[in-house]
Amino acid sequence: MQSLSSSSIDGTLLTLSSVGILLAAFACLGSKLFNRYVAYYGFQSVLLSFAAAVVAYHYDSAELWALAVITLALKGIAIPVATQRLLLHRLDLKRDVALSTGLSTSLIVGALLTAFAYLVIEPADLPHGVVAASVVPLSTAVVLLGGLAMVVRRHTVAQLIGWLITENGVFLGAITLVATFPFIVEAGIFLDLVAATLIMVVFVSGITRRLAEATSSELRGLQG
Amino acid sequence: MTALVVLVVVPPLASALAVAAGARARGAGNVLVAGALVSFASALVMAVRVVGDGHFQALGGFVYVDALSAFFAITVSGVVVLASLGSAAYLRAEEDSGELSGFQVRIYYVFFAVFASGMLASFVAGNLGMLWVLIEASTLASAALVGLEARAPSLEAAWKYVIISSFGVTIALVATLFLFYSGSVLHLSSNERLTWPYLFAHAHALAPTSLRLAFLLAVIGYGTKVGLVPMHTWLPDAHSEAPSPASAMLSAGLLNTGMYAIIRYQAIARATLGPRYPSNVLFVFGFATIFVGVLFMVRQGNFKRMFAYSSVEHMGIISVALGFGGVLGLYGALLQVLYHAIGKAVLFLSSGHLVLGYKTRESAKVRGVLGSLPLAGGVLLLASLAVAGSPPFGVFLSELTIVRAGFAVSEPLLAGFFLLLLVIGFVALTSTTLTMAAGEGPGPVVAYPRRSGRVLAGVPLLVGLVVLVVLGLWVPVGLDHLLMHAVGALR
Repeated sequence: MQSLSSSSIDGTLLTLSSVGILLAAFACLGSKLFNRYVAYYGFQSVLLSFAAAVVAYHYDSAELWALAVITLALKGIAIPVATQRLLLHRLDLKRDVALSTGLSTSLIVGALLTAFAYLVIEPADLPHGVVAASVVPLSTAVVLLGGLAMVVRRHTVAQLIGWLITENGVFLGAITLVATFPFIVEAGIFLDLVAATLIMVVFVSGITRRLAEATSSELRGLQG
Repeated sequence: MTALVVLVVVPPLASALAVAAGARARGAGNVLVAGALVSFASALVMAVRVVGDGHFQALGGFVYVDALSAFFAITVSGVVVLASLGSAAYLRAEEDSGELSGFQVRIYYVFFAVFASGMLASFVAGNLGMLWVLIEASTLASAALVGLEARAPSLEAAWKYVIISSFGVTIALVATLFLFYSGSVLHLSSNERLTWPYLFAHAHALAPTSLRLAFLLAVIGYGTKVGLVPMHTWLPDAHSEAPSPASAMLSAGLLNTGMYAIIRYQAIARATLGPRYPSNVLFVFGFATIFVGVLFMVRQGNFKRMFAYSSVEHMGIISVALGFGGVLGLYGALLQVLYHAIGKAVLFLSSGHLVLGYKTRESAKVRGVLGSLPLAGGVLLLASLAVAGSPPFGVFLSELTIVRAGFAVSEPLLAGFFLLLLVIGFVALTSTTLTMAAGEGPGPVVAYPRRSGRVLAGVPLLVGLVVLVVLGLWVPVGLDHLLMHAVGALR
């Protein structure tokens, strides 16, 4: 199987959409409104689904087409809508006040993490001219940015979005690095199941009110 | 053999079916116990077959059983037997007292069954992608058990547990991806590139840089499940808030399942990169884990949290043992897995008696258990001595083996530090349980109002304690063979 070269049209499209995915992660990190978080995440997922479709077209792989469709349907539409309806509307969430650092600080840390991602992904491992060499550092950066969002945001819903961004980063890396990975569709569905569980835990649980009004920093019942 | 593998994995699910068919707490509990016993017996037979005929493979490597799988299957199915006996008694008592509704009891049995089957299935999965799916599926099922009591603290614990382990999930997936990528130079089909025996056989040809990353990420990702520091923070909350039999399953089952994945990754990494790098990674995480576990045990007011930190400590001990490596180190690590599993299961089950009887989880409010609940008090005392590593119990033997392994690979400083930490842990654990067991009690306390409940809850305590003593004095020839085969499968 030919690996995807970075100079082909497919490769360029893939690189462009991964840059878009990184920007969406930064946009989410730089925002303070809950519905923006969800909107940026939805946009990012649509881009990821497009990237998966490009790779699927290139390799003519039915599994990746399936992944693209699932990503669009679940991550692009279902999860954002569910978060919007079940969590933001019901709980009347508008402005996220539970940030442990200022927005500019977290953006600067995010930029440092992006540089770090380029440092750790050793070029020796990825042959030059292959699109993975430019996309995998980007996807690693998205994983780290998602983690950063989970660290600096103390609200449970914001942490949920941070985890979803991390997951998008993992899949971006997966489709470019190991397009033939046999479990890719199953893993995608499985992680969406995890996401659904997370949404359920926040929503169904009796402390939803408490979780919504309080922030996770006020969840101090269990310590030590 | 395939039938045997099915008989190990599927029987616990019978209780989920029983619940679906409308069984109540009593019926579902009995079905669960029966299913667990079938699993355990099949795991024993499987081990005998594996030691006799060598490893077994089916479905293109999706099913792969060697001595290591059989050993872990025996350990965890044994824990499932103890925990399901405990569950049958505990849930009936909770339902009688109105603490849990009938619906919650049914939820418990369904997810307990999925949790148990998922863990047992992960030991017979030869494909590392499949292993990932199964371990994570069992984690999701266990989250329902943690949040079962639906009080604010238990939901908080459940949230913390799911969000942290979800992050671990994604890291473990990245580890699997890099492992797959490290095999791109090999001429193997996509499935074979994730199948353990093929990977292990071709380990010398894997790409070292991406494999190094894969191993590190696997230790972090699966280490979230194991409770390695600093990914351990969910563990004390989840263990203290789950119903006691479920805590036993988490501590003695899930942690070992994560450790199993790390052992598999370590074997591949050692074959490719040599022993130094994997050992160093495991030393760093292992010592940090023992250190933090021991320190938090010293000043811990909640006894279930203290047992949870003791689990953290033991997982660190196992990591250090894996880091020492060699036949002695691996042998000690596996012995420690087995003895810790039984000891901790018994300890958490006895804590179930205390929670029901004293209606508190604060160790300061529990005094004189020996007088008020003689069986639970005696078991609490002896099991905590056993877990802390006092002779004649098994953990003493395994910890001694591990220290010997440390000296054998000429790491006397590390082995000495290791011993020092063990001593602190010993004092912290036993001094707390000693004051709980002794002293002036509040008079007779009722944990299980019904006689049948008392019998059902007492059996796993006594059985577990007897097994601990017997295995401490004497490692049966069959177990020794199985362990040597398991160590051989990794080298």
